[in-house]
Amino acid sequence: MASDSSKKTLSRRQFLKVGAAAATTAATLPATVASATTKQSIHYAMVIDTRRCIGCHACSVACKTEFEVPLGESRSWVEYVEKGIFPNVRRSFLPRLCNHCDEPDCVDVCPTGATYKIASNGIVDITKDICIGCGYCIQACPYGARFLNPETGTADKCNFCLHRVSEGLVPSCVNTCQGRARIFGDINDPDSEISRVLATNAVSVLRPEMGTKPNVFYIDADHTDERDAERYNTYVRIDTHRRQKRRV
Amino acid sequence: MQELTWGWPIIIYLFLAGMGAGAYTVSASVLLRGGGGFGRKHFQLARYGALLAPIPIIIGTAFLILELGTFMYATEASMYFRWLNLFTTFEVLSPMSWGAWILGLGIIASVVYAYTFLKKEAAPGDEMSSLRRALAWVGVPLGIAIGVYTGVLLGAMPSRPFWNTSILPFLFLVSSLSTGAAGITILKAVFSSGDVEEKNAAMQTAKSAGERDLSDYLLNVSDLLLLGLEVLGIFLLILFAYMMYGDRVDAIAVIMPGGSLFSLFWWGVIVLGVLVPSVIELKYTVPTLLHGRAFIMPRNLELSLATFILLGGLMLRYVVVVAGQITGPVGI
Ligand code: SF4
Ligand code: SF4
Repeated sequence: MASDSSKKTLSRRQFLKVGAAAATTAATLPATVASATTKQSIHYAMVIDTRRCIGCHACSVACKTEFEVPLGESRSWVEYVEKGIFPNVRRSFLPRLCNHCDEPDCVDVCPTGATYKIASNGIVDITKDICIGCGYCIQACPYGARFLNPETGTADKCNFCLHRVSEGLVPSCVNTCQGRARIFGDINDPDSEISRVLATNAVSVLRPEMGTKPNVFYIDADHTDERDAERYNTYVRIDTHRRQKRRV
Repeated sequence: MQELTWGWPIIIYLFLAGMGAGAYTVSASVLLRGGGGFGRKHFQLARYGALLAPIPIIIGTAFLILELGTFMYATEASMYFRWLNLFTTFEVLSPMSWGAWILGLGIIASVVYAYTFLKKEAAPGDEMSSLRRALAWVGVPLGIAIGVYTGVLLGAMPSRPFWNTSILPFLFLVSSLSTGAAGITILKAVFSSGDVEEKNAAMQTAKSAGERDLSDYLLNVSDLLLLGLEVLGIFLLILFAYMMYGDRVDAIAVIMPGGSLFSLFWWGVIVLGVLVPSVIELKYTVPTLLHGRAFIMPRNLELSLATFILLGGLMLRYVVVVAGQITGPVGI
């Protein structure tokens, strides 16, 4: 009888223990999830002031060197947008890179979890030794920001120079930009330069209709596409300066 | 023209996996609900389907692995097995992750299902019956799931307007069932070649419709229905493209007059792969359907029909996979 009751208490205690553990998990889980998404401590973003860009490709070159990007591929590139018929013409530059989207389709589709959004700073990165190189993320990115790296066999793209940024430096393209067209920083910090620039300028993002919520913002970007030539009855020419001659 | 991240291996994979899955579903359905009690009437039909199913699924999946970057550009031996990472995780938002698990299950189930039919003397009510029945029940939803998944895989991305439609999974499912049935037709025609004359004679002399072997008829009628559904799917795909905004209209233009895939799509997929087989099947099934006459189709015709349907299915995958990649979002 005695042993029986002790068994009973024991099992009840165990039950309580398990129950308590379950309750705490239930209580803490939503909190951690919430802190990972809404209260992300750092939210890295970039503003590109195209008025200051002279199309020199220093950023593309710096990026190429920083990551030894294989020939024919690019993590960062500068497009030229020419439009108009003389004398009413305009030429502008559109530097491109991964947008480190808030709702990245590349992350959603990745079957292995290799592509992920870093919870603490918002950078979208790829774990090279998990990626199987299926190319799904390359299809899913609406910005053509990704490519299959023939040296590693895995997906590759800009990662905001995570290795530099985590040491307190700015990304290599920002560092090298002679016109200071690129501003990198934390938009969760209201005193950062990027927050002030975002608050006091008209900015736009690329292809907002894709719903990915990009974190690369442009000042005075020319959103003209080759297809607009017919609509505006004018001349438009886009130079991608990539292996892909047409904008993807 | 934009670059193709996914080329022939993926096209073949979508086609073969769909066809195998279709064969599994068709086989399992006729086994379960084919009339005459469990697995009676169309047992041979089910058997051909069962023996066929795992082969294209496995070959197709192998093609998929061939096109993985870590396989193509492997620098060390372990990279050839990197694809196993698909099975160390489950990513609930990724159709490819779902697909990997569903395909894995599909391969296992279809192999065991085929095994229950392997013996020459396999027959209704033998010692494998209960296993066979269980796997048939698994096979119907699993085969459908694979067919649907091949469409969801492509359809998941707003960045690819040609694919990003809710009708694509339906279209691929219907095509996978019809190519599965076509595969069964070919096997059946090839392996039961000897007794065609005999069978046809039996058909002619059978006193009542009940005594006839209706397996061929069943296959052809199902095919006809599936081809009809395929036409409906394609019609809705095109119709709704024009009801959407910019990039959808731009994307569909590649298969419309003036588009780079126009001829292949309309002549290959629609005329050769759907219309020609439908018309021939109509000609042969209507007398049975309406007047209860014996269903007899010459073997060579049956074979060419099935071949057209298979080619049509392959060309459908080609057109869709390519069209999705040479089109994209409009504007920047
Ligand atoms: S730009 Fe493309 S690759 Fe970068 S986070 Fe967005 S969807 Fe992903
Ligand atoms: S290529 Fe790599 S990172 Fe991209 S979806 Fe496939 S496994 Fe994920």
